Amino acid sequence: MIRNMIHQEADAWDLSQEVFIKAWHALPKFEAKAKFSTWLYRIAHNTVYDWARKRKIESSGEFNDEIFERERIDSASFTTPSGGESPDATMANAELRVKIQIALGKLSPDHREVVLLKDVQGLSYKEIAEAMSSTLGTVMSRLFYARQKLQALLKDEYESR
Amino acid sequence: MNTNPDEATLALWLDDELAGADHAAVEAWALTRPEQLAARGEIRGWRATMAAAIPPSEEPPYPDFFNSRVLQAIREQTPVAVPQVKSFSWKSWCMPVAACVGMALTFWVGTKTKATPEYDVAGAPKAIPVEPVVYTPENGVNAEWFASQEASATVIVLKGVAAIPDATDFSETVYLPAEREIDSTASTEVEPTLEKGQQ
Repeated sequence: MIRNMIHQEADAWDLSQEVFIKAWHALPKFEAKAKFSTWLYRIAHNTVYDWARKRKIESSGEFNDEIFERERIDSASFTTPSGGESPDATMANAELRVKIQIALGKLSPDHREVVLLKDVQGLSYKEIAEAMSSTLGTVMSRLFYARQKLQALLKDEYESR
Repeated sequence: MNTNPDEATLALWLDDELAGADHAAVEAWALTRPEQLAARGEIRGWRATMAAAIPPSEEPPYPDFFNSRVLQAIREQTPVAVPQVKSFSWKSWCMPVAACVGMALTFWVGTKTKATPEYDVAGAPKAIPVEPVVYTPENGVNAEWFASQEASATVIVLKGVAAIPDATDFSETVYLPAEREIDSTASTEVEPTLEKGQQ
């Protein structure tokens, strides 16, 4: 999720490490009210937003869209998904992934996260609401508009499938 | 279902999150509404596209390094168990005071005690000087030694030793290491220069 939220690969892995470290320290406080994975997503959500907030402060208070933007993808980033696919399918998915990442980069962080949690990570509405400290209605609304915008951005790609 | 489902229920149904009686009710309602069935099919297709294009998880480039850094950070940030501080008790101030009193008492007793009597060493047995014995390697060779304290020197005179012939090559009795054994790392082209004082 973090890798798809932040386009700088090194920062994404650093934040992933931070998430695991925070989770380790917070483990005694885990009350099992939610699923462990949802709890971990919540930590990831907070870590990413804290990091983005700090970056915002460092950049003289102006919100830096490049933090979440995916239009400029690292040259060293992985664009080929893992799995036993045929070379053609792998290439097609790699191209599609780049297009989707670029389109995701044009969404607001909230909309992007809700799409990633729902359509990529497969969380339920309730779990997303818990992870994002939001209400069910807000999540539903964000997902509806995020999907609409993404489909509009990927119109050609989406219709050809 | 005669009445339309609320927006939240419909959204859950569209994303296949409804179960049980709620799901059956909305399914029955949607049977007469092809646009809703088409919308659900579209969302299913969209989810499949996203799932195929973006993997839900990704291995770090160097997993072992990633894990080791996480473990190291946890180790560094985990506070070391601090031993419990004992509660204040009379022992905490009484013991140092008792130790000081004990030391002062020992010192005072030491000053009042009689000095140790000096023993008379005049009658003690004295060490007998032993004449040195010089052994010679060959029979018939006599050895005498002379010592001079003034010159702080000892001379040993051997009598009966055969004269050494002039033809004796002393270099044969000296071990000269082979060239390879001298120093394999030293350069053989440049000879070392010695200062006069060292020769």
